[in-house]
Amino acid sequence: MRIAEPARDDVLLRQAAKGEEEAFTLLYRRHQAAMYRFALRMTGSPWVAEEIVQDVFMTLMRAPKKYDSSRGTLGGYLYGIARNRVMKHLERLPREVPLEQKNEDGSGAGIVLQDAATPATWAETRERMKQVRAAVLELPAEFREAVVLCELEELSYEEAAQAAGCPIGTIRSRLHRGRALLLAKLEMLRDVPRRASAAR
Amino acid sequence: MKCEEFDAIGLDAERDASLSELERAAAREHASACSRCAALQDSWQAARVELHAFADSTAAAETPARVEMRLRQEFRTQHGTMKTRRLAVIAAWALAAAAVLAGAVSWSNWRKSQQEEAARHLVAPQNLALAAQKRGAKTNDANLENDAHGARQGAANSDSAETLVADNELRNFTLLPGALPAEADDAAIVRVRMQRGALGALGLPVNEERAGEWIQVDLLVGDDGLPQAVRLPQQ
Repeated sequence: MRIAEPARDDVLLRQAAKGEEEAFTLLYRRHQAAMYRFALRMTGSPWVAEEIVQDVFMTLMRAPKKYDSSRGTLGGYLYGIARNRVMKHLERLPREVPLEQKNEDGSGAGIVLQDAATPATWAETRERMKQVRAAVLELPAEFREAVVLCELEELSYEEAAQAAGCPIGTIRSRLHRGRALLLAKLEMLRDVPRRASAAR
Repeated sequence: MKCEEFDAIGLDAERDASLSELERAAAREHASACSRCAALQDSWQAARVELHAFADSTAAAETPARVEMRLRQEFRTQHGTMKTRRLAVIAAWALAAAAVLAGAVSWSNWRKSQQEEAARHLVAPQNLALAAQKRGAKTNDANLENDAHGARQGAANSDSAETLVADNELRNFTLLPGALPAEADDAAIVRVRMQRGALGALGLPVNEERAGEWIQVDLLVGDDGLPQAVRLPQQ
């Protein structure tokens, strides 16, 4: 059976629960990228992000009736599952910051810079991206989550609160503290090369 | 607005939908008046640009295709199993329904055969007359005719015109003179009303004085249609 593209998530989920593979695939394609990006930005590891996405959709496949459309969007529900998996992962590996991640084809990290005028600018920007990534990954999990949801995923405070399962006030305060820590780290990372070049 | 308040809510005042327009205006005013907070805001804006650049660098990231393949495989396995289970349940119900139907048909057939059996018993007196005729009581031909006729009449006239039903037990039967004990599997027990004198035609001794009495008799009729034994049921 062909399924119309704009079918609502809850309709698709009902069809998937009845065994329609196409409906499930459509749901997966609709939400996988957001889940993957969130997991990747939170963990910094493509492998872990992949595992988390798979886990999220396995949960949805095995217990589709757990989702209640009256309580929020399917995206928010999936974010909630992904968040739990991410937190569990971070609890197990509290301070793991991968130095370099390889892609499937063995090439470099997932950061792709497209707008670099010269090789020097490209290298400088790439270096800076690494620093930002390291600064984000070094934040404590709760502050990191607020920063990822509000600054990287660009969710509103309300959406972020729904995804994190906490009040808006909590998101605001976590974001405030995360922002302060992030600024301090970025300043510190920016100053290291300056100090190094000044010493030379 | 004080610096602490600006620090808490002012940095992102433009995005925070829960703030009122008044609070936003206060934050803007404070940033323009306080150099420290203005510097903090500039610093945060620069950091945001970097964060957005970082976000853009991973914006195209997608789950590898192998995850979709694994999930679809798992989906097929799971729903295949569910389908098999559902089919098994349907098959079990169908079998149960078929068993009930077969039972109902058998019961109906049994009832029909019982009714046919009872109908056959109703026409038994006629058969009895024929049987007696065959037994060849040569001297009693006319008498027997009368007896059979009398038996029919008696049955018709009797106030107990309901179907006579014989006891299926084979006890208390007396073999008729000249009859050989044989397998009783194919024999039928037929209850008839007849005049006592008709027993004489079957070779049994009869009291002449009571020969006209109507009595009920169980006859054991063999598969050849001839009576083999007789029983006088207890009144």
